[in-house]
This record gives sequence, structure tokens and C-alpha cells, in this order.
Amino acid sequence: MAPALLLVLGVLAYPLGWEVWISLTNFSSRAEGAPVFVGLANYRRLLDDPDFWRALATTVAYFAVTTMAKLALGVGLALLLARPGRGRALVFLAVFLPWAYPGGVTVVAWYWMLNPPLITSYSVAMGSLKHAVDGLWGAGAYAFASVALFNIWRGGSFTAVFLLAALNAIPTELFEYARLETKNAWQRFREVTLPLLRPYMALAVFLSFTTAFADLANVWMLTGGRVIFPVLGTQAYWLGIRDGQFAEAAVRSLSLVPLLVLALMLLFRWFDPPREKPA
Amino acid sequence: MSRGRLARWGRGGLLALVAIYSVFPIYFITVQSLKTAEEDVFGSPLWVLNPTFENYTELFAGSRARVRGYVIVPRVPFLVWMVNSALVLAGSLAVTMGAGVLAAYALGRLQPPGWVWWRRALFATYVIPHTILFIPLYQVIIALGLDDHQGALVLIYSTMALPFCVWILSAYYRNLPREIEESALVEGASPLAAFIRIVLPMSRNVLIAAGLFTVGTVGNDFMLASIFLLDPENQTVAAGLGVMDVSLEELLAVAGVNLAALPVAAGCALLARGYVRGLTAAMLEGA
Repeated sequence: MAPALLLVLGVLAYPLGWEVWISLTNFSSRAEGAPVFVGLANYRRLLDDPDFWRALATTVAYFAVTTMAKLALGVGLALLLARPGRGRALVFLAVFLPWAYPGGVTVVAWYWMLNPPLITSYSVAMGSLKHAVDGLWGAGAYAFASVALFNIWRGGSFTAVFLLAALNAIPTELFEYARLETKNAWQRFREVTLPLLRPYMALAVFLSFTTAFADLANVWMLTGGRVIFPVLGTQAYWLGIRDGQFAEAAVRSLSLVPLLVLALMLLFRWFDPPREKPA
Repeated sequence: MSRGRLARWGRGGLLALVAIYSVFPIYFITVQSLKTAEEDVFGSPLWVLNPTFENYTELFAGSRARVRGYVIVPRVPFLVWMVNSALVLAGSLAVTMGAGVLAAYALGRLQPPGWVWWRRALFATYVIPHTILFIPLYQVIIALGLDDHQGALVLIYSTMALPFCVWILSAYYRNLPREIEESALVEGASPLAAFIRIVLPMSRNVLIAAGLFTVGTVGNDFMLASIFLLDPENQTVAAGLGVMDVSLEELLAVAGVNLAALPVAAGCALLARGYVRGLTAAMLEGA
């Protein structure tokens, strides 16, 4: 147990502590002298910053949209694949592929598909699609949609395979019994399958949060910062790396943690209820 | 048409649709990577008429800058990148699996006081977005003397993959009947031998699941790699292609990432069944 704890907590403890400390100072490449402790001033300023609230809204929307889509897709695909039938093995492999194919690669694929470089034959078509979408929902909508689509494509695959494994773990007698007790497939789904899957869905959702964050960063890097729509992560990146305002960046980085902690507590309630020593 | 037949057709169509949806982006990018510059501009985006492996062979053309038409083809030490990527992947796998199995066995079987909370604490680290912590992470890496070294990535990737791996492995070990090891001990095996010869082979599928999750974690990263590895001779494929973000617009880059992905995807496909079985095994009786 020791090596793993040392590794994970050791490598992360210092950075986390540093972020928290820096968020309480005025550390910036512009400030003169050593960082000065300023208490919660950075957080107070954050709450007054309309840009922060816009970024927070975008981030929450991004998480909400991608998570719901991944969950719906995952449950649907898992149920589809759980039933025996011809061609199932092949389709299973296909569903597995988006997650198994290294994300560093598929992100390039999506980039080429949705934001093609100038030189390709379909650039004009995609360009007009982009303008249409941006015109309809405002600038940045297309970029938002393309990141979300990429994340849903990749994360949905993981969720589907994960929930398929969960379906396999549920004793089949339960489903046979349910077949006798319920009137139709929809009722069976809502009253039996869904409750049984819920703990696993909670776990999958939480894991998808973490990848949603990573994908945001990936696309950001890939496009060289050209996908400009305010999200907390990219705001922190701008302020920290481009601008040297480390304290401001740290405050933004940490602002999502309370929300995620809340999600985590809910997850533990559903997934890992405290119980007596197992037999 | 009877109702049963209709349902079967509908299901088949749905399956086909799912397959196309899943594979399309990869198909799409492969098509682009096989194109010549002319076809890239004038051809159809959906298929390739005169496939060429030019983009792939050029990756291995060595470090001489070459001119093709009016374009200077960027030099990339692609072979070095591939080796580095393999090193990082192997290192992350070794560290994650080694530390993961030890931790999982301790938490799941030996159950020291407070093990529930240790397990939760480990999992809770997912709350911290790694990609945002890179400034202080860099300080840690420099303090460890791993600056511009693949070891830095091994360290970071392992911390990202470990919590999930420990979670599923410890769930499995907790549900494994104790009698299995006890009978081995009765037969005269040492506890270590019982673990290596009996318990590890039994958990093979769970190990596959944990391993593939690690591969997925490593494969997904673009950002950390390009932040922590700067010297082209030390970079992984992701880092190398991530840093030259201008050339990302060239077919060469597309071919490069595709080539790097191929062995990984093939390996994953081979182990896909074990992955699902392993996850299922860890989930039995609730994790």
C-alpha cells in the first residue's frame, strides 16, 4: 500500500498545497519582490469578475451536456450490446475503439474533421457550417460543440463498455424475474435496470468528469489557443502561462474543486456505502 | 414483414449505425493521411483514389530537411519519438501495476485500520485537475531532477492511473474467497508464493482491465507531454507533434499520430474481451 500512497499523495500534495498558498498571495511575474500574503482578496475579486461567472457557466454547461450525453449513449449502447445477436462481437470492438485509440491521435482527427486546415477540399464546407453555427448561437458556439462532441465520442465509448461490464455483473435471474413482474420493456428499464446500474453510472460519470477536463486541455493545446471560448481551465492557462499572473490563475484552478468534492461525496454515498466488515 | 423480423432489422441497422459512428473519425483521418497533396486539395474528403504512403515513409526519412515541390518537409526524429513513447508507456504500466497490485492487495485483503478511507482518499485525488497543476508540478519534477526526462511523465501518468486501478483491483481482492489462499498455504506454499502463483493468475482479467485503463490514460494526454518534454530527442510522439503546432496542419503529422496509435489500438482490441471480463469481475457483489 505504501508505494502507491506515497506516489499519488506525495506527487500531488505539494502542487496542491502550492496552488492553495499561491491563491492567497499576490504572486505574479509583474509584482515586485517576494509574494505577499493577501488573504482572500483574490477570491473576493474573483466573485466580482463577470468573466469568471461567464467561464463558470460555460464550464458547468460543458460538464452537464457532455455528461448527460455520455450517460445516455453509454446506457443505450450497453443495453444494445448486452443482448446476444449476430455481429455483436464486431460492433463491440467498434464501440471499444474510440476509447482505445489514443486520445492524442483522435483529437487530431476531430480537429481535421471539424476545423480543417485551409488546404483541404472540404474546408469551405466546414467553414460555412462553423459560421452558421456561430451565427445561430453566438461566437464560440462551434468550438464549444466540437470539443463537446469529441469528448462525448470518446467518453461515451468508455461509459458504454464500463456499463456493459456492470450489466454482466448483475445476476441474470434478476432480469428474468423482472420480465415476469413488469408489463413492458420501458417499465422494466426504469424500475429494474436503471436502479441496478445506478452505482456504476455514478462511478462512470465521475471518471468522465476527469477526462472531460483533460480533453478541454487537449483541444486547447492542439489548436494553439485558437479555440477561444471562456472556460475556467483555459482562463487559468492564459493568466498563468501567458500573463504570469500565477495567483489569479490558481484561484480559478481551485474554484471548481468544491463542486467536484460535492460530486465525489454523492458518488461515495451511491457507490461505496460504508458497511460492516465484509465477510 | 412480421413484427419479429422488423425488430431484427431495426436492431441490425442500429448496430451498423453504432459501428459507423464509432469508427468514422478514425477512418476519416486514415483516408486523409493516405492522400497526396493534390488530392488533399481537390479530392473528396471521404475516400482516397490514389493512396500513397509518402506521408508515412517521410516520417522515417531521417534528420535531413527535404524539399517536396515548393514545400520544405519538416524534420522529425520520429523513430526516437516512437521509442520514447514506448518507454513512457512501459514505465507507466510497470509503476502503475506494481504499486497498484501491492496497494490493492493490502487494502482489499489485509485491510489495515482505516482502509476504507485510504481507498477513498486515493480515489478523491481525481477531484484535482492535473492539467491545471502543471506549474507546481514542474517544481516537483525539477526538485527530483527529472526535468526534460521521460521519467517525469511516468511519474505523473502513474498518479493519474493508479486510483482507478487500485479501486477495481482492491474490489476484486476483497471479494476473492479466502479459502483459495488458505488451501495453498496448507499445501505448504509461502504467502508470497501463494500470491504470485495463485492469486495473480486468478486476477488476470482484472489486471488487464487496470492495464488498459493505464494505456488509455497515457494515450489521452497531449498537454502534459508537451509541457514536460522540451528537447526533441527526449519527446514522445504526442509531445513532439504537440509542440510544433503549426505543422499539425500537415498530413505528415496526421500520418505520424496514426502510425503511433496503430500498435496501441491493436493491442487494446486483442485484450478488449479481457477488459470487460476484468471489470465485471471487479464489480461482482458491488465494488
